[in-house]
Order: sequence, then C-alpha cells, then structure tokens
Amino acid sequence: MQFEAESNGVKYEISVHETRSHWKVSLRPEDADWKHYNISKQDYQQIDQTISFIFNNSSYLVDVIGEDTKYTVYTRGTHRSIDIFNEENLLHESLKGKGGFGGGGSLTSGMPGKIVKVMVEDGQEVKQNQPLLIMEAMKMENEIRAAQDGTIEKVHVQSGDNVEAGAQLISFKKP
Amino acid sequence: MFKKILVANRGEIAIRVMRACRELGILSVAVFSEADRNSLHVLLADEAYPIGPAPSNESYLNIEKIIEVCKLSGAEAIHPGYGFLSESPAFAQALEDAGITFIGPTVENIKSMGDKLASRELMKAAGVPTVPGSKGSIESLEEAQQAAESIGYPVMIKASAGGGGKGIRVAHNPEELPEAFRACKSEGLNFFKDDRVFIERFIQNPKHIEVQVFGDTHGNVVHLFERECSVQRRHQKLIEESPSISVPDEVRQKMGEVAVTAARSIKYVGAGTIEFIFDNLTKEFFFMEMNTRLQVEHPVTELVTGIDLVQEQIFVAAGRKLSFSQDQIQQKGHAIELRICAEDPADFTPSPGKIRRCRLPAGPFVRIDGYAYPGYEVPIYYDPMIIKLIVWGHDRQECIRRAQRALAEFMVTGIKSNIVLHKNILVHPEFLDGSYTTQFIDREIAGKQQSQLFMFVEEDVFLIAAAITAFTDSKLRSTSEFKLASRWGKAGRMKAMRT
Repeated sequence: MQFEAESNGVKYEISVHETRSHWKVSLRPEDADWKHYNISKQDYQQIDQTISFIFNNSSYLVDVIGEDTKYTVYTRGTHRSIDIFNEENLLHESLKGKGGFGGGGSLTSGMPGKIVKVMVEDGQEVKQNQPLLIMEAMKMENEIRAAQDGTIEKVHVQSGDNVEAGAQLISFKKP
Repeated sequence: MFKKILVANRGEIAIRVMRACRELGILSVAVFSEADRNSLHVLLADEAYPIGPAPSNESYLNIEKIIEVCKLSGAEAIHPGYGFLSESPAFAQALEDAGITFIGPTVENIKSMGDKLASRELMKAAGVPTVPGSKGSIESLEEAQQAAESIGYPVMIKASAGGGGKGIRVAHNPEELPEAFRACKSEGLNFFKDDRVFIERFIQNPKHIEVQVFGDTHGNVVHLFERECSVQRRHQKLIEESPSISVPDEVRQKMGEVAVTAARSIKYVGAGTIEFIFDNLTKEFFFMEMNTRLQVEHPVTELVTGIDLVQEQIFVAAGRKLSFSQDQIQQKGHAIELRICAEDPADFTPSPGKIRRCRLPAGPFVRIDGYAYPGYEVPIYYDPMIIKLIVWGHDRQECIRRAQRALAEFMVTGIKSNIVLHKNILVHPEFLDGSYTTQFIDREIAGKQQSQLFMFVEEDVFLIAAAITAFTDSKLRSTSEFKLASRWGKAGRMKAMRT
C-alpha cells in the first residue's frame, strides 16, 4: 500500500507491505533515495496495549493515535505528529481543488477552552496579525490573530462560551 | 489528634495530603468539582463530596460551600494544599469563626506576608537583607548618581508604573547612567504617563533559592535548608533541587539563620517558605517574598531531610510541639523534582485531553506524586501539572543519572507532555555544572528547533510506526465496510459451520 506523508516539514513517499512474518516498509524522503526496512513481526508487536518496537536493536515502546490523516506517534517521552495520506485521501484532496486554506474558510479552536473576549464582529475587515479573540485554556490566555487580511463573515462565539476542540469560532468571506 | 480531615484541593497535592492522613489513621474527605468526578483524589479518598461547577471560583474557591461540606462530613480540620484557598486570609478567618482548624499558618501570618511590598518593608525592619535600592522615587540625575553610587553598580532603573519589560534600563557603570536615567523617565512617561523612577541593584546572574521553615504554636521555629528553583518557564518552576550546588556552606548556614529570623519575627506557625533572589556572582541573597503554605516542591526537602512535612503540618495544627529541633535536621544526599506537565514541550502551551497510556517510572529512590492514569481526561480548568517525579541520590551526579533513568521509563500518550523537555535539560551543560540561572529556559531552551528536542528517537521510528498503523487502519476500514455489506452472507456461513 502506498502513502504520502509529511513529518517535521519533510515530505515522504512510503510503501507498506505485510507478509506473514514481516512488515516491509520503504521510505523515500524528498530529494533522497529509498530506504527499505524489513521488520520482523517479532520485533514489532503489541504488548500490554503498547507497541514494542526493536529497531536496530534499540528497544522502543510506541503508542500511535490516528485520526483521519493525522497520526501522532509517542515514544521515549516525546511525540511527533505526522500527516499520512493513502490513495483514497489523496483522491479526495485533488477533488477539493487548490486553495483550501485560502481566503475563504474558518477559524477553528485547536483545543477545548473558554472564550474570554471577542474583538471583532460580523462583516468587519481585518488585517493580517490583527487580534481576533482571546481564548483561555488551562489558566493561560491565548490571543488568536488573523492569519491574513480578510473580511469576517460571521463570529460564531461570544465571550463566556466554552468551546470544544475543532469548534468553529469565526468564518471568513470568500475573497 | 484529628479523626477526619477535609482536603480543600484537587490533583496531586490532594492525594499527597490524603496519604499523610491515612498513614496517621485519619480519615480523609475529598471535595470535587463537576469536572473532577473521575479525578484520582476522589477515587483515593475515604469520603467525597461534590462542591459545584468546574470553574474554580464556583467550586475549589467557594469558601461557604467548603465549610458547609466540612460540617456535614464531621471533619475537624481542613488542609488547603497549595494554590486555591491556601493563602486566603478570608478562608483562614472563616474557618476560625466556624470552629474548624486550618492546617496552616495564622490569619495574621498570611496577612502580613500577603502584600509583597509591605512584607519586604517588614523583613527589612527585622534585619533581613532585601535588594539594595533607592528610597522612593528619584527626581534628578545628581540624585540618581548618588543613589547608584551607594547601591553599587550595576544598577537597574525602573519606572514606578512599569511592567511587561517596559520602563527598565540597566547601567553597568557611571558613564551609562545619564542615558539610562533619561530613557527610563521618558519610557515611563510615554507608556505609563508617569515619569517617576527608582533605582535598584541589578542582579546579573539571578538564581531562585528558597528556604523551608517550620514553626509551631509554642514559639519554636526551625529551617529545613534550601531548595534551588531556578529552572523556570513563564515564571513558573519546572525543576527544583536540594541542596543548591551554587550555595557555599557558610552562605547556606547564613540563609537558614536569616530565614528563621524572618519567620520568628512574625511568629510564624506551620510550614512556610522564604524565597530569596541569589546573586551567583557575589553569592549575596535578598528576600523576595514568603509563601505561607506548603510548596509544590516540598518533596525534595522531604527526601534530603527524611521529614514528612505534611504529617508535621497536621501535628502542629493539632497543637503539638515540633517533633525535631534544629540540630536534628540534616541535609543528606541530593534530591531533584521534575514537574511533568500536560503541555507542548517546545512552546509550553497547555495540552489538555485524554491520556491513553500512562506508564510511570519506578525502582530505587524514585518517588511519583501525581494523579494521571490511562483513560483520565486532563480538564481544561486547572493547572497543567499532572505528575511530579522526585528522585534521590547520594550526590548530585548520582541524582541526575537516576532522574535520567526514571525519565527513560516514563510514558504518557494521548496528550503532549514536557517529558522530553526535562530530558534535554538534564543533559544540558549549564544544568550539569549548576551555573544555570532563572533565565536558563528562555536563553537556552525555549523556541529551539523541535529537531533538537527530539534527539532521543531515530527519525524513521516515528515514520515506520505511523505507516504500519495507517496501513492497519486502512485494511480495517475496507474490511469493515465489506463485512457490513455481507453480514447476511456471514450469518449463513456461520450456520452452515454449526450444522
């Protein structure tokens, strides 16, 4: 199975093939050669709800959480977020067309929190970097600013609202 | 002795207090907000009572409600932990009025140390060193020159109304003073519409060093040596250790004596901490403030002295004399505490959410005070610190190695954690040689490339694990779609197999 991935700012082509006893994983970072790994299932197995991965004789305990195309890999006290697209995802992306993050679109909440203050209103024109609202999460106030110039179509929240991760906060007019 | 104690707090400190209670045969009462029904302190307590909605001011800060629950439960005393109501004179007073024992200092103690400026004046009068500075505001350059000369260079000129880094200038010598003075005055006027300035000694290599003190109701006051807490991010401590490698023995002795003098001057009762700013060049120390409560980092003192500070708090609140005299307290070996927080290790933004896997380190001389468990959802309403890892060693080097070993066993997944940040700090030359100051994180760690923070893992491990999981997920999706479509066929096949 073929994938495309992006990790730490680098794009990869990935191929995964499963046999009875092995995982055959090949990685090709942008502008570099393929690397082929033939990983015995002895060396990569689920133990006590965690993956034990012996890689080049290094023992890793790994946990992977995947949602749609976003995968987060946890190991050795650290984590890495990786975007992975299979053929099906890639097809969807190409149908959507370019400019998904462009002028139109909306601001969503990255984490659950509470809206402390809204500084803009429907129909208002905003400049890049202009503060839009202040959100509080875990005792810390975070000012959220405009990523680029644009016009606000609608503000979906008001101060005092509690919002979930992924909630739509502000939508922008299409240019 | 008390038969039942209510713990007016949550998280790891509530559990810490309950552990002390249980060891003393005292029943513990937990209180919890709507966001904390599943929190570990509720699960470990003997009794538990809901006290209101998730936001702290409607639950953990609700004095009336907590007193009502205390009476209902029949608890005779309340331990406030740290944060929340622990330094509220109103709370301590309300408990006194209700006939409930407050496990902490007196109302007067809290009041006298509550105001930062007033407490510094109070300490100055008691003979405790404070940062040398001008009395009141400075009007003219001549006056500034005189003040700077008597304080000693380098000096810091501060706008009275200043804040957020604005309105502060440093003059390293008399030549730099006129311009610094002028700039500071005009910045004060421009930003704060107030051109009054004052002058203070500029501490070039500041360290945060504090001394644990303990008093009882019989007039005894002792100190339990120092803790160094200079590793801080956003002015919050991240790593604490005892003893401090930077403090020479004779200065340590002096700091302890000064701390006892300070506590004695206000007839302090219970556990408290005198915070000093320490100049790592001149080895001078100056009073900053006093915390009239148990500190987050109290375990490092417990590990080097062998004294259970929470049990001692309970004894003192019950009216007993301190169970140790000054000469019985010794600092043995070295202890380090690492605060594990649910936050992004690179930019320190909080990362609440559901913990999936949680494996805690164990083994010799490793202590865990925490409240995380697999499946627990870290709420957005409270502090992001979820676990404290505390280790002990015969000396600092052994202690650091042990901390590194313990970190290697640590696994928290599902949320971001700063475990890797600690790993990076523990191998940093400035941490290893002890020269780090309170600016260490800002200068050396914050905003550093993620790749530098991730040097403990081979890059391809991330990719291979993600790819194999994505592969398995895709297979699972396609087969489940297939299965859904052919469930009737499957049922038929099952039937055929049975007959």
